[in-house]
Amino acid sequence: MAIKALQTISTGRNGVGAFILQCKRIDIHFCDWAGSSKGMNGFIKSLLPKFAAAHPQIEFVVSPRPSKHPVAIGHYINGREKAICVRNMEPYQILKKLELLRDASGEKLKVTKPVQSINESVRGIWSPYHGNGMKV
Amino acid sequence: MSRALLRSVLELRATTRPSSVLLPSSRTLAAAAPATSPAAAARFLHQTTQQVEPTQPQPPPPPPPPSASQPSTTTIPSQTQPPQQPIPASVRTLLPLLAAQPGGHYITVYIQGQSYLVTEGDSVRLPFKMPGVAPGDVLRLNRAVALGSRDFTLKGSPYVDERLFECRAVVTGTESEPMRVKIKKKQRCRKTKHVYSKHKYTILRISELKVCKDVAEVEA
Repeated sequence: MAIKALQTISTGRNGVGAFILQCKRIDIHFCDWAGSSKGMNGFIKSLLPKFAAAHPQIEFVVSPRPSKHPVAIGHYINGREKAICVRNMEPYQILKKLELLRDASGEKLKVTKPVQSINESVRGIWSPYHGNGMKV
Repeated sequence: MSRALLRSVLELRATTRPSSVLLPSSRTLAAAAPATSPAAAARFLHQTTQQVEPTQPQPPPPPPPPSASQPSTTTIPSQTQPPQQPIPASVRTLLPLLAAQPGGHYITVYIQGQSYLVTEGDSVRLPFKMPGVAPGDVLRLNRAVALGSRDFTLKGSPYVDERLFECRAVVTGTESEPMRVKIKKKQRCRKTKHVYSKHKYTILRISELKVCKDVAEVEA
């Protein structure tokens, strides 16, 4: 078995002690004039106050961005951000997108194995030199 | 409103008359073993209520039981639990030894037809998006195929008694995979069709795994 140095830095495992939502801030940009922002403007008026009140752990920043498509940008604890252009969407479609930003971890999308573990194997590594052996 | 009610009543009458011959009422179906007629079996599989498994012994490798169609991970209220089986004497004597082993324990939890060997602190990516959960929700996982330590393994037949351990998982969020592109091409035709798909998965983190130290305190 290879000699391993003692690990000095602990690895964060969200949810083992406390759970912290990975999305910390959502920026919402809109335009007053453009037609592609029509749904976004309705969303800001009707649905956003409720959604923001339901998520006190997320900071919501609403700012105009004239003559551009509306966009929602999620900022995450790991430093990454995820931007979704919501042009020509209905308010309820935009709500779905904000829920996506809330649930995401901020990591880059990749195909992962079902179980990811940093613990050592509980049952140990099999060895042919230990145990009773097998008669051939 | 009244028209919808009337229609539902008419539909009910239309369906109950022939099915009363074939099927028992839905309440008795939930308690009975899988019925013989195919329509009844399909109905049984789509039940959302707790289904009590028949008591006859099943083969040791865990086949997907009829209750696989329900999410087994939700917090089960106590009144829907199946009648408790007596704990065998071998488990009674060996469980304290398993619980006292150093180096942690592992558990093979069974979620929606798939089993996952996990330890405390592992993250599990389920192959589906679990409906009705939000990040931060805690699920009690009560179906386990095996529970073990360095030297001992408690195998379930087909499941380990849910009173013997306590396993909880936190929903940490929903992830998706990179966009998949499937190119469809027929012979002698220049057209190619691109089919896109992007699935969403629920991520769990095993936050707690406790093995019961003594069987006596379970039965108390």
